[in-house]
Amino acid sequence: MNRRAFIRRSLQVAALTAVGGLPCLDLQALPAVAADPPLALRKGTDIPRLVRETVAALGGMRRFVKPGETVVVKPNIGWDRTVEMAANTHPEVVREVVLLCLEAGAGRVRVFDRTCNDPRRCYRQSGIEDILREIPDKRLRVEHMDRRAYHELAIAGGVKLNRWSFYRPALEADRFINLPIAKHHSISGLTLGMKNVMGVIGGNRGVLHRGIDQALVDINQVVHTDLTIIDATRILVANGPQGGRLEDVEVRNTLIASPDIVAADAMGTTLFGLQPADLPSVVAGARRGLGVMDLDRVRMV
Amino acid sequence: MNGLRRLRIVCQLGCLLGFFWLFVATEYRGLDELPYPVSLLFRIDPLAALADFFAPGAFAWRLLWPALLVIVATGLLGRFFCGWICPLGTTLDGAGRLLKSPGGRPRPGLRKIKYLLLLGLSAAALFGVQVFGWFDPLSLFLRTLTFSLYPVYNLFANRVFDFFYDHQLPLISDLVNGAYPFWRDHLMAFQQPVFALGLFTALVFLAVLLLEKFERRFWCRNLCPLGALLGLCSRHALVRREPASLCSDCSRCQSACRMAATGSDGHARSECVLCFECTEYCPAERVRFGFHSREGSGQVDLRRREVVTALAVGALVGPTASIAPAAASADSYLLRPPGAVAEDEFLRRCIRCGECLKVCIGRALQPAWLDAGPLGLWTPRLVARFGYCEYNCTLCGQVCPTGALRPLTLEQKHKTVIGLAVLDKDRCLPYARNEECLVCEEHCPTGRKAIVFEQKQVLVRSRIKMLKIPRVVGKLCIGCGICETRCPVEGRSAIRVTNENESRRKRDGLAWKADEKRPSA
Repeated sequence: MNRRAFIRRSLQVAALTAVGGLPCLDLQALPAVAADPPLALRKGTDIPRLVRETVAALGGMRRFVKPGETVVVKPNIGWDRTVEMAANTHPEVVREVVLLCLEAGAGRVRVFDRTCNDPRRCYRQSGIEDILREIPDKRLRVEHMDRRAYHELAIAGGVKLNRWSFYRPALEADRFINLPIAKHHSISGLTLGMKNVMGVIGGNRGVLHRGIDQALVDINQVVHTDLTIIDATRILVANGPQGGRLEDVEVRNTLIASPDIVAADAMGTTLFGLQPADLPSVVAGARRGLGVMDLDRVRMV
Repeated sequence: MNGLRRLRIVCQLGCLLGFFWLFVATEYRGLDELPYPVSLLFRIDPLAALADFFAPGAFAWRLLWPALLVIVATGLLGRFFCGWICPLGTTLDGAGRLLKSPGGRPRPGLRKIKYLLLLGLSAAALFGVQVFGWFDPLSLFLRTLTFSLYPVYNLFANRVFDFFYDHQLPLISDLVNGAYPFWRDHLMAFQQPVFALGLFTALVFLAVLLLEKFERRFWCRNLCPLGALLGLCSRHALVRREPASLCSDCSRCQSACRMAATGSDGHARSECVLCFECTEYCPAERVRFGFHSREGSGQVDLRRREVVTALAVGALVGPTASIAPAAASADSYLLRPPGAVAEDEFLRRCIRCGECLKVCIGRALQPAWLDAGPLGLWTPRLVARFGYCEYNCTLCGQVCPTGALRPLTLEQKHKTVIGLAVLDKDRCLPYARNEECLVCEEHCPTGRKAIVFEQKQVLVRSRIKMLKIPRVVGKLCIGCGICETRCPVEGRSAIRVTNENESRRKRDGLAWKADEKRPSA
């Protein structure tokens, strides 16, 4: 251990001790960002096949889910909109990912989202509740958020937020699989993987929209995503994030998947004819070490 | 206990449970159309029918035909509704047992109050002021459930569940936590209901219960205008009691009858609720009910002077109450649920039952106190800071039993304008503080958003910054209020819905017509 490493370690220990009294997530424990994260991009109209091919390209679901683990699958169920309006993750994508987790031997698969419209309406109207209820497996739970399970945490190293309330089941799960739909969003530019994680936080989310980019990184440093699969089977190119007009929907038949959430979001920007650098949350995420935004450094698989 | 009496008690409890069940079913459970006629209680309510009859516009036959059946049946059988069906009557019977209502001679002088009340309310309704709902026992019952008892029950149940959730007791906690999802989905409100008039409504109900301390069924005997209406209908009922007068050797009926229907002046058919208890407590087992007897009196003991006074007072209430300026013009934030008819007709149709407030999915509706005018007490108003009108929900129109809220198809609902959102530029973050925020735009549910933004250059600490500034497009806004609910500014929202532009308002030819102004959303 040289002097520099010694000082750094000492400071880390001091900082941790200082916040030791607070219920605090140890952000130092985040897994180091892989130098060249794998990323899969596949196209196809047969959604179940498309999901399976995309995940297989990354080495299969068994690389992410170990037998007996509790997995949270977090689609976007935010809005009281039907499937074709492209405001929520496609139910068939959700079902196939859930099936893959179950096949990989997950001990429990939990699906939930903190919605913007009435939760019961969103779960139904999105088609996600109905399609998952058809899976006859006791390990699967489609559930509404339990208002009691939010937990306020100090965010050590947060830039925009130093405390926020998080949904405990999302933090306590062994694996967190993020299933956003790619959409236009007038505040954050686009809503992709990092934005989708806002569905597992509590509090008044409206206030986050001031300086949302750093806030998103803060949240994503607490909620670690093991696998991001961006649903771009159809995308919303205007009037997002809830849409409501078929004119704003474009069919793309595409999935993007990566264990690196920043890389996935960076690739997601290209769906809209943008560069990764055009999306401030991607830039902020890369700068703060959440992932890789340079698509040249991403290993396409 | 004889057969008829047992049947009556079973019927009472069955109806009470049935109405409880319909009450709990008055909630969104995954279907856009409610599968049960949850407001049945008011569709069989003759007083609701009377209120609707006096309202401008056509009588709501489609909704209220069952109430007419009740009137016909009452004409044939008597006041069976009060003794067998009315949930408030059943509750009062129960309360009377608990509070040990005294027996003894009744005060027949009080009995006429209910008739005078009915006459006064009817005259008022004829002259433009309808407040039957304040005194309708069924409204009283249901709105107490909605505003007070159900919220209390939910709060209590949640506390219990929370306790076992927060304290991990072996075995018990697992059991209770396991039961929670089922309980929440089927036997509780999805979200804790919160109502502004909860306490006041509960106190009124408590007062009615406590009257049992003075006489059995004090409310039903002396005050209930629905009882009065049914009493008037049953004057010539065919079911009669025998003997129709007190027996010379015993006057038990005089003190024991819950309705004080049998006294020295005979058996009053308009007071008897056919509870059949007298067939049991009569020591000589003389009492019979049947279609045979011709004796008995159906008369209602009212003096002409009292009747004239009640009618005159009722008729004067209308003009007197209308002296005040209309609440809707004084308060531009007075919003009504979508599908509400024009304010004047709305006030005359609404019977303050609370059904729409119970079913509202977004917790947007609150009972008005005096803020909707002196006559608006307990009417629904949409308070957008508490909750918003869910874009794809049409439930309130489905449950309204009198047509004060029209049922809307989804397509109509999307075009129905509740009001118009107006930005408060002194509070709105982009305007007032040059901070970024477009939460209102994000949540605006119309297909072409009624809140758009424009990019503007602003100077922040001598640096030029591009800022997105929201703007309301008046022609597209339907006033659902989600922007006001979600506005992250603390306290009063920086965007508020006014009642400008609402569809139900009668307009001159120049103004927009609600149906024309929105192409397809």
